Amino acid sequence: MAGLLSDHLVSVVVFLPTAGAALLLLFPRALERQARTAALVISAATLAASIPLWTRFDPSQTGFQFREKADWIPSLGISYSVGVDGLSLVLVLLTTVLTPVSLLFSVSHVEREIRGFSIAFLVLETGMLGSLVALDLALFYVFWEVMLVPMYFIIGIWGGARRIYAAMKFFLFTMSGSLLMFLAILYVAIRYHVATGSWSFALEDLYRLSFTGTTETILFVAFALAFAIKVPVFPLHTWLPDAHTEAPTAGSIILAGVLLKLGVYGYIRFALPLFPDASIRFAPWLGVLGVIGVVYGAFVAYAQRDMKRLVAYSSVSHLGLVVIGVGAFTTISLSGSIIQMVNHGLSTGALFLLVGVLYERRHTREIDAYGGIAAVVPVTTALFLIATLSSIGLPGLNGFVGEWLILLGTWASPHRWWAVAAATGVILSAVYMLTLVQRVFWNPLQHEENRTLSEIRPTEMIAASVLVVLMVWIGVRPNDLLERVRGSVDAIQQSVAQKQLAARGLR
Amino acid sequence: MSEGFVRFSSGDLASIAPEAVLAGMGCVILLLEAFVPSARRWFATLSLAAIAGSLYFLIRAPLVPTFGGRYDTSTLSVLVGLFLGASAVLTILVAKPYLERAGEEKGEFYALLLWGHLGVSLMTRGLDLLIVFIGLETLSLAFYVLASFFRTVEASSEAGLKYFLTGSFASAFTLFGVVLLFGQSGGTKIEGLARPGLASDPTVAFGILLLFVGFGFKMSLAPFHAWAPDVYQGMPTPAVAYLSVAPKGASVLVLYRVLAAVFAGGMPDRFRTGVAALAILSMTLGNVVALAQRDIKRLLAYSGIAHMGYVAIALVVFGRDALAAVIVYFFAYLVSNIGAFAAVSALYRDETKPHPVALLAGDGRRAPFPSAVLALCLFSLAGIPATAGFIGKFFLFKAAIERGLYALALIGVLNSLVSIGYYLKVVYMLYMREPLEEEAPPPLASADQLALGLCAAGILALGIFPGSLWELARRAADNLPLAGP
Repeated sequence: MAGLLSDHLVSVVVFLPTAGAALLLLFPRALERQARTAALVISAATLAASIPLWTRFDPSQTGFQFREKADWIPSLGISYSVGVDGLSLVLVLLTTVLTPVSLLFSVSHVEREIRGFSIAFLVLETGMLGSLVALDLALFYVFWEVMLVPMYFIIGIWGGARRIYAAMKFFLFTMSGSLLMFLAILYVAIRYHVATGSWSFALEDLYRLSFTGTTETILFVAFALAFAIKVPVFPLHTWLPDAHTEAPTAGSIILAGVLLKLGVYGYIRFALPLFPDASIRFAPWLGVLGVIGVVYGAFVAYAQRDMKRLVAYSSVSHLGLVVIGVGAFTTISLSGSIIQMVNHGLSTGALFLLVGVLYERRHTREIDAYGGIAAVVPVTTALFLIATLSSIGLPGLNGFVGEWLILLGTWASPHRWWAVAAATGVILSAVYMLTLVQRVFWNPLQHEENRTLSEIRPTEMIAASVLVVLMVWIGVRPNDLLERVRGSVDAIQQSVAQKQLAARGLR
Repeated sequence: MSEGFVRFSSGDLASIAPEAVLAGMGCVILLLEAFVPSARRWFATLSLAAIAGSLYFLIRAPLVPTFGGRYDTSTLSVLVGLFLGASAVLTILVAKPYLERAGEEKGEFYALLLWGHLGVSLMTRGLDLLIVFIGLETLSLAFYVLASFFRTVEASSEAGLKYFLTGSFASAFTLFGVVLLFGQSGGTKIEGLARPGLASDPTVAFGILLLFVGFGFKMSLAPFHAWAPDVYQGMPTPAVAYLSVAPKGASVLVLYRVLAAVFAGGMPDRFRTGVAALAILSMTLGNVVALAQRDIKRLLAYSGIAHMGYVAIALVVFGRDALAAVIVYFFAYLVSNIGAFAAVSALYRDETKPHPVALLAGDGRRAPFPSAVLALCLFSLAGIPATAGFIGKFFLFKAAIERGLYALALIGVLNSLVSIGYYLKVVYMLYMREPLEEEAPPPLASADQLALGLCAAGILALGIFPGSLWELARRAADNLPLAGP
């Protein structure tokens, strides 16, 4: 049994949440609260199951590890093929950490339809994990789309006042991108069939194809668009502030923490190696959009009056930085982008969580409704400050590592000025985040009702502390992450370079 | 007459046993209704037994054409027979509690349903256009009556009359088409259409065009769709569930058979363009107009029109894989669409009144099981992965891209995006709105539960493990002389 489990470690991690969700379906309505505990236990068990992935991962190998493969639709070469490399490993861990954290936060805040909420969350976790480990394009697409449905319900049922609009917008935006990618996936697989005579949707087989000219451009755009909407890259970002503002806190944590990263992940995993020429050709565009995202996101964040919207726009800005790192495509900038994805997940997750803490007490997210509460809620303040410092890249905390690597790597690339623009973004993020801290926690206390604000609860504090501990850990020992990521970064760069060489040879 | 159309062999008789069982049970139920009214509560069981018996004989029948090559028993017709049988079983499961609630549990309903089912079976097994036409008419007559089953309800009578008038018009077109094909090929057998030279004959082309009108009508393919919303609205929900799935599948099969015979050397481009235009029109019109619907049955009618547009893509592709894809598509459509109508039947209290979507408000909490199944069915109809609907679209679009029909595939997926708009509107009502009415949906009958459970299981099973159905469908598709994707 133990052997069986460790042979199928990835599958266990991916499907444990859904198995748990199926179990929750059997819970009678009277046991709603127990369902919540059960969901928490299941997500914690998933986290526990994912830890061996981290410890047993061999950083010296560049390929995929913990491989599993089974036929799914054999006549079309579609298989259940999963595995992790450094890139997916860190994001898998991020997912398995953030899910129990969000559920733990929700323990004291979701009162309505708890069972449904827990089920949606667990199914969402399977969707995210599955997208990260899938090595078959058809399998990836299934997981990728499955994510939409639970998130739609999480925003639409447990969200704020304009939740319906936000949920619909989220669904339609993401779906429109993925449908084009769906056709592109079919086309790529059919081309493989034409070229080799056999069917396959396996990523490693499809990597071997080369496309040229307009075909490659169209396919690349279809893939890149799906991922760019998810990230979201400016100007496709408009769904994000709405979704974030209206989503319940736990939904925002997962949305910012993991879902957005899947866009970048997909770009690095699929669009880059499948269409290397086009992605190099489009890299300047990507970088420029990243720069616009960094600066625009920062300015709009500064103008926000709603704390959650502010953090949401800061995500647009921070992910712009990640996009710059990917666009620059140097070993260092790419590693930095991957690390920064984890960092952003932790720091923004923590910020959303703490904004949620304040919101649950005052039922407003207006920045002006607060002020001077540092003395009233010192622990919340301290945690918020750490998350802020992590978010703006203070050395010693995680954010610094990623930003530094991205800037360094981008400076070394042909697009030096991106690094300059990105650095302004880093400075701007300090401006708007510290202003936020000042206006919410320091300034004089003006509203009487804030005097009696209650301090963070134990469950909320545990949830936030987990994230803070990880921030410090990555800040102090970034190498634990970097050494695992490096192998896959090299592999991705090599495969792109090889294909480019091969393509040149062909011409 | 030398082919033995009048003199039957025992093999001939064995091959029509499935249909004979249906016809016989229909008569038995009518007689019981007249003379032993107390047997009413057994009608549903008897009908289910008839379907089961019919499927048993179908599976047992030797896989050779009978009646001088006029009546088909092949992997293709057996697989399609299973599809039809499953539609009928689910319909009967939904019908029993529905009719009980409406206080109309009459034998006529079951008898007509069985005869309608008999007609559809004839359509799918007939290799002779006359048999197909007789099947079509048997189906139509049974469902004209079923449409106006609630005699005292105006909407129901309206549905019956509309369906009858437009339906007889469409049948006339079909018959005229059959006559033209008969005139040019010298026989009514479908395989006779494979004679060289017919593919470029304008009279044959016109005949096929007329068949498209007739069977397009049954499919509710735009522009022959106008009857569907009104008829769906007035017809008893279980009958709509059947009508919205089985006859559509049968019509596509008939068209495929005829086209495969005539265009054995490949479909001419002008034909492709024409069918593609129908597909685009049907998808777009169905989806866009569905956005404006307030009544769930009308919404599902327009959704069905859109789905037949997707199905028509398979006719444009016109190949072996496309036929297999359309078979998988119809299995997916069967569980999703009948599941949706089963949920509608379980969620609405008053059968004879309109079914506004708004009445579903808050049902997600008041009636969790039917609501969850309805949501699942709608996600499946929208083509979200891990559901049957996605698998159907996957194979269909794969075939289209393989044939190089990029624009058509693109229009298809953009249409699925539009369809999300109205499917989610229903989900939104179910889960994100407070109830409008005090009164909760009626308690769930066990037959309803079974039907809903079967549909949900079917959607997930087909969505997650589509491999074996795909293989079966591909083997079935080998029965028609088709080439390419």
